[in-house]
This record gives sequence, structure tokens and C-alpha cells, in this order.
Amino acid sequence: MSPVGVVAVSHSPALAEAAIALALEMTSDGGPAIAAAAGTADGGTGTDAARIAAAIAEVDSGDGVVVIMDLGSAIMSAELALEFVDSGLVERVRLVAAPFVEGLLAAVVRAAGGAALDEVAEEASGALRPKLEHLGGQSGGRSDEPGAENGAADAQANEPDVPDAEAQATVRNVAGLHARPASVIAGIVPGFDAEVTLAVGDRPPVSAASPIGIATLAAGPGTLVRIAARGLQAGAAVEEVRRLIEEGFGEELADLTAAGAPSASEATATAALAPAERRGTGPLGVSAGRVIGPVVVLRRSVSEPDAAERLPEDELEAALAEAAEARERVAVDYEARAASVSGERRTVLEATAAMARDDAWAAGMEPRIRRSRLTPARATWETADDLAGQYRRAGGVFAERVTDLLDVRNRVLAAITGEQPPGVPERREPYILVADDLAPADTVTLDPAICLAIVTEQGGPTSHTAIIARELGLPAVVGRANATSLVDGTLVLVDGETGEVLIDPDATAQATATGVLTTPPFVGPGATSDGHRVVLGSNVGAPRDVARAVERGAEGVGLFRTEFCFLDRDIEPSIPEQVAEYRQVFAAFPDQRVVVRTLDAGSDKPLPFLTADDEPNPALGVRGVRTARRNPDVLERQLAAIAEAAQHETAEIWVMAPMIATLAETQEFAARARGAGIGTVGVMIETPAAALTASELMGVVDFVSIGTNDLAQYTLAADRVLGDLADLADPWQPALLRLIGLVGEAGSATATPVGVCGEAAAEPALGAVLVGLGVTSLSMAARAITPVGRRLAELSIDTCRSAAAAATAASDAHGAREAALAILG
Amino acid sequence: MSTTLTLDGFVRWLESFRARIDEQTAYLTELDSAIGDADHGSNMARGMAAVMTKVGESPAATADELFKTVGMTLVTSVGGASGPLYGTFFLRVGMAAGPVSECDAAALAAALRAGLEGVVARGKAEAGDKTMFDALSPALDAMDAAVAAGASLEEATAAARDAAATGRDATEPLVARKGRASYLGERSAGHLDPGATSTALLFEALAEVTAA
Repeated sequence: MSPVGVVAVSHSPALAEAAIALALEMTSDGGPAIAAAAGTADGGTGTDAARIAAAIAEVDSGDGVVVIMDLGSAIMSAELALEFVDSGLVERVRLVAAPFVEGLLAAVVRAAGGAALDEVAEEASGALRPKLEHLGGQSGGRSDEPGAENGAADAQANEPDVPDAEAQATVRNVAGLHARPASVIAGIVPGFDAEVTLAVGDRPPVSAASPIGIATLAAGPGTLVRIAARGLQAGAAVEEVRRLIEEGFGEELADLTAAGAPSASEATATAALAPAERRGTGPLGVSAGRVIGPVVVLRRSVSEPDAAERLPEDELEAALAEAAEARERVAVDYEARAASVSGERRTVLEATAAMARDDAWAAGMEPRIRRSRLTPARATWETADDLAGQYRRAGGVFAERVTDLLDVRNRVLAAITGEQPPGVPERREPYILVADDLAPADTVTLDPAICLAIVTEQGGPTSHTAIIARELGLPAVVGRANATSLVDGTLVLVDGETGEVLIDPDATAQATATGVLTTPPFVGPGATSDGHRVVLGSNVGAPRDVARAVERGAEGVGLFRTEFCFLDRDIEPSIPEQVAEYRQVFAAFPDQRVVVRTLDAGSDKPLPFLTADDEPNPALGVRGVRTARRNPDVLERQLAAIAEAAQHETAEIWVMAPMIATLAETQEFAARARGAGIGTVGVMIETPAAALTASELMGVVDFVSIGTNDLAQYTLAADRVLGDLADLADPWQPALLRLIGLVGEAGSATATPVGVCGEAAAEPALGAVLVGLGVTSLSMAARAITPVGRRLAELSIDTCRSAAAAATAASDAHGAREAALAILG
Repeated sequence: MSTTLTLDGFVRWLESFRARIDEQTAYLTELDSAIGDADHGSNMARGMAAVMTKVGESPAATADELFKTVGMTLVTSVGGASGPLYGTFFLRVGMAAGPVSECDAAALAAALRAGLEGVVARGKAEAGDKTMFDALSPALDAMDAAVAAGASLEEATAAARDAAATGRDATEPLVARKGRASYLGERSAGHLDPGATSTALLFEALAEVTAA
């Protein structure tokens, strides 16, 4: 392999030559092929795309070229140059956003050392870091710098302080930290007495309370996110955020093992992230059904506020307050609309309310009003433009939220000016709604009995239009160019499956309309297609999770984590306090099963009154039920509280202990629990020791529940929060599946219920494999219940068993998944 | 009054644009000295001089050939940001026009819009960023609207010229958000954008040749 070539693009030939000479001083043997493309043909100052293209071709030896530019037109000329070089060569050219001198030096040194193209490019793009670190705090930054708008400045200001709690989490859901997960995180953070930040790579941390800030992290599946917090409840806040991210928000999980190798789930990931790229490639059906009706075009008439008007000095503060108050009114209005609907529409509206309250607004408004003295309306308009630009640049699912943002803007403008906000027209006759894109607030007033279908110009398969259309059972086509140029009343035929939109269909075409094909939400009880029963429960981490679990049709709770009531407390909560908390959860599931896990402290969840903080290896230390060795009283009191709470409610309470390794521990726990008055007692299977001795343990307890996250981590000896080891701590690892199979067999032989309550249960295909291995109940984040339930209902128990056999026989996690999918279809 | 612009007409358009640039070189540079690096006038004058030499040396047989020559010549001779921007504009206009020897109003509007899209892709400018986009985009919106309403070539280009001038004037109070002028922040307000000003000249030239 020959060294990567380097091209220095500058306005000034003298600058380029001097910078190259400086860089070459760092190499001993002449360095890589390097060329300057600087100045215009006649020797003047400037850049020339044709010369850049020639320089790229000159230094390429087949292993690629890194291009470092100075400023302004150099960047545009370099981009244009890529249109002039051969298409084969374009793929191995990297235009690097590096400071000119530092970047050139870094690129030359790395290229001379024989590094590959992307390593050279990465080194160059990070070349400013040493200077930033050196000058760090002194360089400050203007408050209106782009980064400040997403809360980065605040976070940076806090950076020198050591956080009170830190953790890392790997993004696992296919769509990444897009707007909805971002608003879920931003929604829970204010509930803690802590300042929480998130960070990815070397970029400055952003506030976890800012959905827009989180969105700018552009964290896709597999991204390692650092969570840090300061404050009294730092630990609990970090743990909650970590759990949310690691559980994938109940959305479809990505296959993180198959980096580079195409797989079914990657294909889905591409589909989910594709909308920004596929813009303009034609209409796409996103919600099935073929209907005919007259068009009603949704028109948005918001006029741009005057840019020339300036406020008098003494009105600036009042203007800022007025704008903030307008945003708050809009947020309250979104929440009221959210409360009037359910399901996805509610979630989406709640997310939009959070968007209206985002701190990024204030950050963008203040300099515009205080310094530029713009009117509140104009400042709102420009701030929205900036935020929309940030979303568009983030691309993919973020870009699809621009419509929501502009809806917030329009409503804030209406609130400021006192005008009527734009919206869906009221109609009595059936119609097909046509719009550039729909905002969540539009869809609330949409009556699915009158609206027949939706056609939009913008949007992709995961846009709100698509999500909401599917929920309402309305056929929908997104990405149909020029749709809004249709005249109201025009008859169109819409096919939400093929993406077809036929204008003025003739009689033959009209006859093909088949009406609406609805896909009802999954309703339990969970079972395979041939009636093999599988209980689908929800994981619950705090009373606030309960409403969602009920709404999603959970058959009770498969894992009730009780830590929420203990974490960040200096002393143990009293029995009456515990009883009150537990009852809140039990009361939501009358006559249904709630599986309670006793306190799982230790390791990553330390408690001052219970666990040691000086263990060399906390994951292998005194955690879970082991804390009762020294402090049995805490467990005794918790069991008493659970038993008392159970007496007041009709829910069927099962209780299990975490971190069981031996039969003796199981016997001891079972005795304590039964002694406290618990009727149904079980243990978690999280250690290989417990899995291997499952049949003996089942002789002592009434049920077991497999915690796949810990079982994977202990079986593969890989910390599951380490991104580098994500392939090992993968629930598809055949060794893990074989251990689960042992537990399943023991369960079948002894007629003992075997549950799974880790992330594994939330992945539909893996859920089917677990059922095939003998698991009788799955517990997951509430959102996963419908996809998992639907998938199971399509499969026979024999198919699940065949898939399980194929997966356990595979040689690695990737192969296991492929083998199972080949059978599951 | 002709309904199409022929190859000859395109060359006269370029000649007229060049004449206007030459006439206003000092003015454009003065505008640029207020908010940029004082080279827009001289850069454009050098570029258009090179264009007319090239076009004179090897006359093109089709529109795509002509505009490719114009675009590549601007790219290699202008030097500043206007090089890749105007260069991309003409390259895309040529690609969209195709191997034809004349364009009617609709075809011309479509080709110019392809040019605008090229400028947006290259410069990433949006409305109100105080760039050539602020003259170019309204000009083409006006031209499209006129064509859709059945206007003649002359009327459509006149509408584009007027909209470009209005767009140019509207850049005065704006704060620059792209290019070197953006480093000036608030101080860039109160000056016309040089790029928008030269773009308005381009449409003055176009309206002139279609009216002739």
C-alpha cells in the first residue's frame, strides 16, 4: 500500500507552500505525495476547482486523497472539484473540516506513517483539539455562537466540575436518539434534582433537558453516549437515563453485532434513516389502503414578520417576556390537545410541547431581541429558521421533525399577534387531505371518519404523518411532489401501499379501490398462531411507567424494579413509605400479575446504607440478594412492605430475588419471602451458575425469570456498557441461548414458569426464539408489546422451536440471528 | 419580438452581462469592501472577460456546450467564492438546457432554476442569508409565475429582472450569514450584498436581450 495523498487548497500560493514545508519538516523520508492547489491561473489570490481536481488526480496512488482547505471559496471550490474528478476516484477523496495548518500537518504525518485514508482524515479533523484543550477555558465564546443554542455553552461552563454521577450507554434502537426518545429523556430529567448532560465523542456535552440539544448529538444505533450529572439525585437521574437509552425506548432494536455486514435489521435501519436521502425519489406509501375521494389542500398562511422593525431600548425585556409567555401558552395548548387523545398522537403532541419549551428558543431569542432589537415575532421567526437548519443538517429522522418545529413557530406567532393559528379545515363530507407535511397538532383535529386518506409532499416512512396515519388506519402517501398544487375538489385515487396517487381516475381505475385496510393494535392475551400461551408483560421502573404499560395492553408487569424508591436516599425508606409506592403500581393492574424484584443494589446502583463503595470489582461484588448477607433487615422490611401492599390490592403479586448463584441462597430467600407472607416466590436467573442448576432451584421456588442483560454479561465476561464489547454482550450469543435453553427445559420438565425480563424480550425475532427455548412469559418496555405480540401471533410454536434450534447451533451471534430469521421469515 | 432565445441570443446575454459588470466593477468592489474582501467587482470582470474570450475563440453549437464553457471558465478564472457559485450556476443551466440551439420561456426558466439549485447545493445559502440567492431565487419565482400565467419571453424575463432588483434591495438591512461577510455579524447590515447585486445585473442583461 502506498501512502494516502494530500492536497492543500489555499487562496494564497505562498501560504500553501509554507504550510506544506512546515508539515514536511515532521517527516524524515520525503513524506507522502502532496500537492498545492492555490491561487488562480493568473497568479492571483483565489481558488480554482479545476486546479484542485487536477491536484487530487496527481497525488492519488490508489489509496485515496485527503484535501485540507483554508477558508471561504476554498471549501466550495473543493466540493465543486469532486464533480470534475473520475467517479471511481471521488469515493476515495476526503474533504476534511480541519484547521489549515494543523490539519495539514496531522494529515502529512499520518499519511507518511502509512495510515489508511479514513485514519488520516480523522486525525486531521481532530487536529484542533490540542489547541482547544490548551487554551480551553480562556477562549470563552460568544453567547450567540451556534453551539450555545443547544445548551452546549451551559454544559461547557460546568465541565471543569467533576460530575456526581456518570455512566455510559449504547444507543440500541434502530432510529437512534431522534426526537421522540429525545423528548422522553428530556421529559424525565426535570423530575430529578440534578443537572444532567449527554455527550458523544469529543463534542461538548448538551443538556439532557433539551430535546433539540439531544437531537444535535445525532446519535444513531451503536453510538456510545456519556451521561453525567451533578446534584442531589445525580445517581438516580443517570441510572434512569442509562436505562432508557439501553432499553431502546421500546422501539425496534438495531443489530449492533453486524457492523459492516448487511443484515435484516440494518436494512431496516437504512429504511428508517433514509428519508433525508430519499427526498425527491418519488412517492412512498406508508399506510396501506386504496381509496378515492375529493382533495382538500391544507394551506398554511403565516406571513413572515417584518425584518426591518426595531424595538426601542426600554421595551426589550418586556418583548423577551412576551415571547417566552407565548411559547408557554403554546406548550400548554399542545398538552391540552395531548390530553384529549391517546396513543401515538398523544406521545407526539407531548414531544411537540417539549419542543415549544426547549431552552434552545431562549438562547436564540435573547441576542436577537437584546442586541438586534428585533420584534418578538421576527426573533421567533429567525430562531425557528436556525433550529430548523440544525434539524435539517442532522438529517434523517431529525429532518422529519422540521414540520413540527415550524408548527410550533406558527402557533407562537399566532399567540404573539393574536391571530388564528393555521390548521386542518373543518369538513362534513369525506375528503382526502393534501399538505406539504402534517404537524402533530394538525392531526388531532383530523376525524378519521371523514378524512379518507393523507397525501403529503414531504416526510418519510418515520415521519409523524406516517406514524399517525397508521395509528388512525388511514391510507397515506408521503413524498408526492407538487401535491399541494392540486385544486380542492379534484378526485384522486390514493394507494397507501404502492404510493400511487392517481388524479381524476377513470371508471376502470375507480373500480380498483378496495377501501381502508386497518391494522388494529395488538390486543392480548399473547400466544403463538397455534395457541401456545406466552404472557406479555411490561417492565416498570417507577409508578410513572404504569400508565403507558396499561395503554399498551401489557398483561401485567413482568419486572417491577423497586430501586426507584431507594436510590439517592441516605437512609432506607420506611415500611409505610414503601407500601404507598408499591401500591401505586399494584393498583394499576387489578387481577393481573405483577412480578416484583427485590432491591437490586450494588454494582452500578450503589446505596449508601447498604452497599460498599470500595469493591475492586463491583459487578462481581456484594450486589442484589447478596446485600442481605450483611444487612438482612433491609430485605426483611422490603418483603414485609410488599406483602402488606399486596393485601390492599387485587393484583397477583409474585416476588423474586436478583443475583442468585446457588441453591442455598435460593432456599434462604424463599424461606424469608414465604415467612413474610408472600405466596408466589421466585428467583432471577442472571448468573451461569443459576442457569446450570435451574432444575434444582425450581424445586425450591415457584417460578424463575431470566435477566438476559446480566446473564449475557456474566456468561461472555463482557461489560455490557462497553461499546467495544457490544458484540460479546449480545443476547444472540449462542452460548447465552444455550443457557436459556437449559432453563427452559428445566421449566418444562418441572412445569415451572420461566420468564425473560431483559432487553432480549423486546426484539420480536429474539422473543420468538426465547419462546422456542421454553420461555413462558416475556417482559419488556411497553412500546415493544405490540410488535412482539404481533410477531408471535404469526408464528407457530414449532416454528419458534425450529428457529431456537437453528440459533443455538450457530457459531456466533450474527449467525444465530441470521439462522433464526431464515426460519421465522 | 421573439418567443425563443437562440444561441446567438445567449451570447448577447453574456456580452451584455459582461458590459454591465465592466461598467460597475468599481461599484461592486466598493460594495464588497464594505462587507467582504473588496474583490467581487474585479473577480467578476476578470471572469467574464475570460468567458467572452473563450466563447469567441471556439463558438459553441449548442446551449449545453456554451454554458459548460462559461461555467468552467468562471471556475478557473474568478478566484473568489463567485467562481464556484457562478460556475456551478452556468454548468447546471447548460446541463438542464441540453443540446439545443434555442429555448422558449418555460425551458429557459427551468434551466435557470437548475442553476439556482446548483448554487444552493454549492453555497448552502437560504433566503435571508444575504447572498446572491436573495436575488436569484425571487427572480426565478417571478419568472415561473409569469410563464405559468402565459407571459411572453420578454414579459417573463422583465418580471425576473424586477424581482431580482427587489431581492437585491432587500439584502440591505440583512445580517450576513454566509461567506466572509458573516464574520462581520451585525455590521454587515446596512449594505447591499455584492453577489445579489451582480445577480440583478445578470437579469437586467437577460431582459435587455429578450426585449431587443
